[in-house]
Amino acid sequence: MGSKSLSRVDRITYFLLTIVGLISASFIVFISIFIALKGVLPFLTDNLGLGSVSLFKFLTQTVWLNGPTFVSTAYGAGFLIVNTLYIAFLSLLISFPIGVLTALFIAKIAPKKIAGILRTIIELLSAIPSIVYGLVGVGFFLPIIYSLARSFGYSSSGGSGTLATVFVLALMSIPTITSISEVSIRSVDQSIEHASLALGATFTQTRFKITLLAAKSGIFSGAILAIGRSLGEATAVSLVAGNARSGPTFGLFDITSTITSTMLTGLKETQGIDYDIRFSLGIVLMVVILLTNMILNYIKKKVGNVHA
Amino acid sequence: MEPIIKVENLDLYYDKFQALKKISLEIPQNKVTALIGPSGCGKSTFLRCLNRMNDLIEGMRMDGTILFHGEHSESSAYDVIGLRKKVGMVFQRPNPFPMSIFDNVAFGPRQQGEKNKQVLKEIMEKSLKQAALWDEVSDRLSESATKLSGGQQQRLCIARAIAMEPEVILMDEPTSALDPLATQRIEDLIEELKKNYTIIIVTHSMQQAARISDKTAFFLMGEVIEYGNTADIFANPNDKRTEDYITGRFG
Ligand SMILES: Nc1ncnc2c1ncn2[C@@H]1O[C@H](COP(=O)(O)OP(=O)(O)OP(=O)(O)O)[C@@H](O)[C@H]1O
Ligand SMILES: [Mg+2]
Repeated sequence: MGSKSLSRVDRITYFLLTIVGLISASFIVFISIFIALKGVLPFLTDNLGLGSVSLFKFLTQTVWLNGPTFVSTAYGAGFLIVNTLYIAFLSLLISFPIGVLTALFIAKIAPKKIAGILRTIIELLSAIPSIVYGLVGVGFFLPIIYSLARSFGYSSSGGSGTLATVFVLALMSIPTITSISEVSIRSVDQSIEHASLALGATFTQTRFKITLLAAKSGIFSGAILAIGRSLGEATAVSLVAGNARSGPTFGLFDITSTITSTMLTGLKETQGIDYDIRFSLGIVLMVVILLTNMILNYIKKKVGNVHA
Repeated sequence: MEPIIKVENLDLYYDKFQALKKISLEIPQNKVTALIGPSGCGKSTFLRCLNRMNDLIEGMRMDGTILFHGEHSESSAYDVIGLRKKVGMVFQRPNPFPMSIFDNVAFGPRQQGEKNKQVLKEIMEKSLKQAALWDEVSDRLSESATKLSGGQQQRLCIARAIAMEPEVILMDEPTSALDPLATQRIEDLIEELKKNYTIIIVTHSMQQAARISDKTAFFLMGEVIEYGNTADIFANPNDKRTEDYITGRFG
């Protein structure tokens, strides 16, 4: 659009929107710089004589801290990255099918009244703060998982661990996936569903082959949002993960820890290198989330655009 | 020859509103029957009775009989899925599925359990050829159907219906969203298709009805005012209202 075609009002609006956009963008820049500046200290300074942390070791090691706190600088977060991605992936395996099927039920199958009630419930569920999900995890999932593990002859740490974390995160993600999928399922053009039925397809075939297909871009967005939430959730996770100090953990009944839970654990009771290193973890977390988002968005584009 | 569809005393209500009143019609096999009439007179409603798409509308009630090959296709015991396989439909607005051209045409057969890629390929090619679309798309079958032009999309929808090898094809104003050239192609196509299929077409164009149909039914406010050979109806209509409508003096 040439600027000649803009009226005076257009130009003022354009200017104001640009300013607002820049301000929002600068918050992100500010936060990133703040975290980054603090987070790079352990690698660049000698940490009050303890020696600097090796970046390579930090990214690849499988023990959070080798040696005593405030003495050693042998921090390692490699296993945390693996745990975090592993847990987010497992929780999506649970929340995705449940969320999408619930959305399909609300949008297409449930009678109007029930659909309305369910929609309200889902909205409420997504408004519940994560600490509450954490408490549900502690009070409800942990005892169950504990006895489940025992019945397999497995001794778990009070039920804490991968499975409990995965369940809590799945529970938290279901409302997100459901509400976003439901909107996109509801906005599917009815005429293609009719076309499918008119071809002699059953309702079930139509819903699964046509409705979900047409809504896939929105459903995918829901999944991306859910993954983002899982990767970044700290409070609930640190209540049920068991806060392992080394890893990675793949066993479902074994204690684990994620980037966020490690950042949070003991944050207020520590100082010096042990404090600063959490900001380094913050950088790692942001990079992990950014990369995951970029990859998923790339896949979404690939998958979503083929025949849209 | 026995009519393929025989409608007797059909009444249809949307809640309290009566959309069809005592319709009786016999649809001849392998002919083109045109349904004409002013907006809201019940043409689409009638068409949707024939493949039971009205079942989807809440509050719809129907009385009377619709015999398809002599069987009560209107009864709740009748196999609706089976009916829709034999009575295909092309909608007013082209509505291809958001998938490839190939997958669009193969969709119907696939839902019936056809998995053999070779068989599907043959069905697809034959259907696209019959729908006069093959030459335009044969080199991009894996591309998205939604990227086709409106006229191509509509022919794809016809191909998609043909792929089910139906006996009857219902068309609800299939050319109303198309330009004259695309309309011409669809009309030529209908001419071709009537050798193998019974076609029932709703149209707002008198010229189109006169050009392509063998039989014409004139609907008015839920009733069939006149039904007969297209040539007769257009040459000397029996009813004054029919005459007014086809000469454009209506309303
Ligand atoms: N789903 C519906 N619910 C209630 N009333 C309906 C519904 N569909 C159609 N009607 C009513 O039934 C009557 C006939 O509608 P129909 O769509 O069959 O007309 P039509 O002849 O196809 O009109 P047009 O030429 O505009 O397509 C109209 O008065 C319409 O308002
Ligand atoms: Mg209509």
